[in-house]
Amino acid sequence: MAEEQQTGGPADSPGRRIWATGHWGPTEPEEHPAVIAVRERFPDSFVDAVNFRDEMTIRVDRPALREIVLFLRDESSLRYNFLSDLTAVDMLRLRDNPRFDVVVQLYSIPRRQRLRVKAAFNDGDPVPSMTLLYEGANWLEREAYDMFGIVFEGHPDLRRMLLPDDWDEGHPLRKDYPLRGYREYVQPGFENPAPRVRSRFRRP
Amino acid sequence: MSLEISQGTPVEISEERALTDSRRQMVLNMGPQHPSTHGVLRVILTMEGETIVGCDPVLGYLHRGVEKLGETHRYSQFVPWTDRTDYVAAPSNNLGYILAVERLCGIEAPERATYWRMIMGELARLASHLVWLGTHALDIGALSMSLYCFRERELILDIFETFCGARLTTNMMEMGGFSRPIPDNLPGMVRDFCNIFPEKQVEYESLLSANPIWLSRTRGVGVIEPDAAISMSLTGACLRGSGINYDVRKATPYLYYDRMDFEVPLGTRGDVYDRYLVRMEEMRQSISIIEQCLDQMPTDGPLSLTESPYVIPPHDSVMKTAEDMQRHFIWVIKGFSPPKGEVYQAIEHSKGELGYYVVSDGTPIPYRVRLRTPDFVNLQSLPYMAQGAALADVVALIGTIDIVLGSVDR
Repeated sequence: MAEEQQTGGPADSPGRRIWATGHWGPTEPEEHPAVIAVRERFPDSFVDAVNFRDEMTIRVDRPALREIVLFLRDESSLRYNFLSDLTAVDMLRLRDNPRFDVVVQLYSIPRRQRLRVKAAFNDGDPVPSMTLLYEGANWLEREAYDMFGIVFEGHPDLRRMLLPDDWDEGHPLRKDYPLRGYREYVQPGFENPAPRVRSRFRRP
Repeated sequence: MSLEISQGTPVEISEERALTDSRRQMVLNMGPQHPSTHGVLRVILTMEGETIVGCDPVLGYLHRGVEKLGETHRYSQFVPWTDRTDYVAAPSNNLGYILAVERLCGIEAPERATYWRMIMGELARLASHLVWLGTHALDIGALSMSLYCFRERELILDIFETFCGARLTTNMMEMGGFSRPIPDNLPGMVRDFCNIFPEKQVEYESLLSANPIWLSRTRGVGVIEPDAAISMSLTGACLRGSGINYDVRKATPYLYYDRMDFEVPLGTRGDVYDRYLVRMEEMRQSISIIEQCLDQMPTDGPLSLTESPYVIPPHDSVMKTAEDMQRHFIWVIKGFSPPKGEVYQAIEHSKGELGYYVVSDGTPIPYRVRLRTPDFVNLQSLPYMAQGAALADVVALIGTIDIVLGSVDR
C-alpha cells in the first residue's frame, strides 16, 4: 500500500488537473526563467530549485533573501510584484540543522505566475524583512515572529500579532511547544489542575 | 539597485495639524465589544478632534490556534476546523483545504463532484456577500438592508442544509469528492434560488446605489491607490475596487472556472462605493456561474473517487466486499499518508485569495498547515485608509474590508 501511495494511484495520469497546474511556469527547473535568472545573477546564494506537483520552489541563502526577492520583483522579465504569503516552517523533526525555513509565496499579476522562495536559517539568525519591498509583509512577519520567534531584520514594528503582548510562554507553532502550552490550567470543580496532555495522535 | 518603498500617495496632513500640540490628541479605544467591528476586533485610534491621526488594530481575541491544531489532527480531521475560520462562507474554506490536500496526494474529484463544488463555492460567496452587504449597510445606517439580505441568505442556508444537514459549519467536502449523495430536489432548489435572487438584488440596489446618504458615506471614503493595494497584498474586492485585475478564478483557474464565461468587475476610484459596486456585480456573476454549472454538469456519474488509497471507500462496497472493508478500517484507524512535499493552493474566496500551504512529511498528520486568510491581510489596509479620515468613517472602512474575525484571528 505504501508503494501505491508513493506513485499516486489514478491521479497521476497526464492531462489537465482541476487544481490548476500550469501557473507555476515550466516544470523543469532548468527551463524555468526565474530559476535561470536567479542562478545567473546570484550564483553564490542560489542553493537549488525543487519541483513538486508542478510547483516551483527556489531555495536560497538567508542573507541574500531580500536582494533576490527584490530582483524577482523588479526584473522586467519576471515581475513578481505581489506577495501572496510569507510564513515559516519549523523543521525540527525533519532535519537537524538549520532549524527553520522562511517561505515566501510570490505571484506575478502581469505574468500570472506563482513562485515560492525558501531560505533556511537557525534559531536566532536574523531574517531580512520584506517590508521594504512589500508593505503587506508587515503583519505576516509579525505573525511569524509571534508564532515562531523569528526576528526579522529591518521590520519597523516587530510586536506580537495574535497572542497578547505580555505572553511569556514562548512561540506556540514551534514543534517543541506542547499542544496545551506550558502552563497548568485550573479546572473548575476539580482539585487538581488539568494535566498538560500531549495530542492523542502521536507521530510514528 | 535601491530599496524603495512604494506607498502610493501619502495622505496630506496640513501644517497646522502637524504643529498641533500632542496634548490635544486623544486615544480612543474602539472594541473589542463594539457592535460595528464585526466581531472582536479592537482598534486603538489616536484622534485630533474628529480626525484620525493614528490607527492600530489589535487582533487575537478569537485566536484558537487553528494552525497548531492542524499539526495534531489527521488530514481528514482538519476539514471541520476550516469551517470555523471563516464561518459565513464555510464551503469555500472546505474547498481550499480539500483542493490543497488533493493536490498533495495527486488526486482529483470526478467531473460531477467538481461542478457541485463550484456551485457550493459560489453559493458560499453569495452567502458571505449578503452578510457583508447587510452588516455594512447596517453600520452606515441602512437598517432595513440587513433584514432583506438575511432573508435571501436563508435560502442559501436551506440549500446547504438540504445537501449536508448543516447550515453554518457545513463540513461538506471529502477527499476525492463528496461523501454524501446529492438529494434529488437540490438542483431544483438551486435553480429556484437563481431565478429569485436577481430580482432581489435589484431591490437592494434600488435602495442603496443612488441613495444620497449612502453616497455621501461611501463616495471618496477610504481611497486605496492601485500601487498601494498591490504593495499591501490586498486581494478580493479591496484590490479590484482599485482597478487591479486579479481574480484567482480568472488568473490561475482551478476547478472548471476556465470553462465558465464570466467577467471580473473592476472599480476605478478605489473608494468604499466602488468596492460596493464590485461586490454587487460579483454576486450577479456568481449567479451566472451557478447557472452555467447546472447547464454543463453531467446528470449522472460518480460523486467521489472509489479506487484511490487516499479516499474513504463508499459505504455500499464497504458492506459488501472484504477488501473495501479492510481499506475502510485502515483509512479510519490510520488515516492516509500523502507523499512528502509541500503545496500552496489558492482559491478565490468571497473576501479574496484564500491560500492553504500544506507541508507533508509522509505521515498521516500534516507537518504544517498554513492558512493565508484574505481578511487578515486585507485588514492591513485599515490604518492606511483611516489616516486622516473622520471617526464616523471607521465603521464604513471596517465594513468595506469585509472581515470575519474567526478568519482574521484563526
